[in-house]
Amino acid sequence: MDIFLQLTFSGIALGMIYAVIAFGYQLTFATSGTLNFGQGEALMLGALVGLSLAGNVMGGPYINYWLMIPLVMLFGALHGVVVERIGVQPSVKTKNEFGWIMSTIALAIIFKNVAENIWGKDDITFPSPVSTAPFEIFGARVQIMQVIVVVGALAIMLAVEMFNRKSIYGKAVVATANDSDAAGLMGINTAQVVTFSYALSSATAAFAGVLVAPLTLTGSTMGTALGLKAFAVAIIGGLTSGVGAIVGGLILGIAETLTGYYISTGYKEVPGLLLLLLVLAIKPSGLFGKTTIKKV
Amino acid sequence: MLTINGLYAGYGKVEVLHGISLEVPKGKVVTLIGSNGAGKTTTMRAICGMIKPKSGDVQLNGKNVAGLDSHRIARAGLAHSPEGRRVFSTMSVRDNLTLGAFPRFTGARPKGDIKADLEKSLELFPRLKERQDQLAGTLSGGEQQMLAMARALMMNPDVILLDEPSMGLAPILVEEVFRIILRLKAEGITMLLVEQFAAAALNVADYGYVMENGRISLHGAADKLKNDPAVNEAYLGGANKH
Repeated sequence: MDIFLQLTFSGIALGMIYAVIAFGYQLTFATSGTLNFGQGEALMLGALVGLSLAGNVMGGPYINYWLMIPLVMLFGALHGVVVERIGVQPSVKTKNEFGWIMSTIALAIIFKNVAENIWGKDDITFPSPVSTAPFEIFGARVQIMQVIVVVGALAIMLAVEMFNRKSIYGKAVVATANDSDAAGLMGINTAQVVTFSYALSSATAAFAGVLVAPLTLTGSTMGTALGLKAFAVAIIGGLTSGVGAIVGGLILGIAETLTGYYISTGYKEVPGLLLLLLVLAIKPSGLFGKTTIKKV
Repeated sequence: MLTINGLYAGYGKVEVLHGISLEVPKGKVVTLIGSNGAGKTTTMRAICGMIKPKSGDVQLNGKNVAGLDSHRIARAGLAHSPEGRRVFSTMSVRDNLTLGAFPRFTGARPKGDIKADLEKSLELFPRLKERQDQLAGTLSGGEQQMLAMARALMMNPDVILLDEPSMGLAPILVEEVFRIILRLKAEGITMLLVEQFAAAALNVADYGYVMENGRISLHGAADKLKNDPAVNEAYLGGANKH
């Protein structure tokens, strides 16, 4: 029972990381109908930039972990702007419906190779900002960093949600997601909103990167699998639902850790992906996805 | 206030508007009538920037805004209640109205008292007041139309384009829409009204333009057009004969 609980806790921490990345997919999908398939690489770059600032590589540490987070998010935002300007905007402008898929994948590969050249091929340990000594909850051992991951993930999603609901700029984002043409008629610069959503999306991914890095290893390859699985989470939960991202993330995260222990680590990704197939067959809009009804 | 000169526009290679010229003076209600497919909605879209005109001028307050993005034209003082209403369906009525004032929040238009204007528009549209916290997507067609009009007003625009405000509404609601247009007119709001209900439109308007196959075929004071035999025959169903 203890081990089951322990696995569940690990699954929750991992699942919340998936949820944040999936949430990032949703942000750009809502405003532009496009996704950054390099979301995992945005996470990886965030983690590596964070490592260079707060870790003991490249002559560091330069600043402390907590102060590094806003800088990494700023870097993530800039990264998102670059992806949108180079990979997405040209394709959308020329009405090339699917060009952005290839171009964001291409950019992802480029970022991965650049990272490999800067930080090397080997994974690096990310120094934990808090004590790594676990404490016990109901007999299961939990690391403080795991708790921080869950709290941080929830906090960033809540912050974005609050911004969207309360501020006029957030409302402009929601309006653009609702009906881009109508939003333009309200004086909202919808192209700018789309760029902003890419910035926000990559910033949240970079944030997820520095959250997860102390629990895993950091390296140029860390993002690919995470990005792909978070995409599965976004599909399972529904591309339009924040709650869906969290629930989908938790399901996949917990399923993975449990399968990894009770069956075989070789099979740990199977249940989640089976679920993906199941959801696509039964409810293609995702567990929490809304099928939009349009009044005419 | 709004002057359109030699406007050519279309979709892709298909030209729909072959040189439209019309004028909406300050404080007046001007209507654009014509049969289905005459190009009325295309004219509206070309004015507000939803489609880019091929050539021609759109003068708003003496400034040529033709070819600008729609958000720039909106900020220059043109509000548009579009065909099909296009309310933000997952947002509350209140949020929809707030967004109508977006350029005032960002300083692109004079701020004024946004809160007071919001309350005022809820007074003007009592049905919206009752439903202010409801999601716009759950409103009936008529209520959505009121919302689209109220949202356009929230910008405090110099000119409002109303595209088919009566489309798909029950007769009683059509009457209400025209009552509201009259009230706005009494407040001195400048409007360009596109309508299929030509008779009703000419009743509230000061001046009218008749569109046919992408051209203005006739224009004149609304009273005059109402009694014009050709207009009467083609668009008013000969109703005035009796």
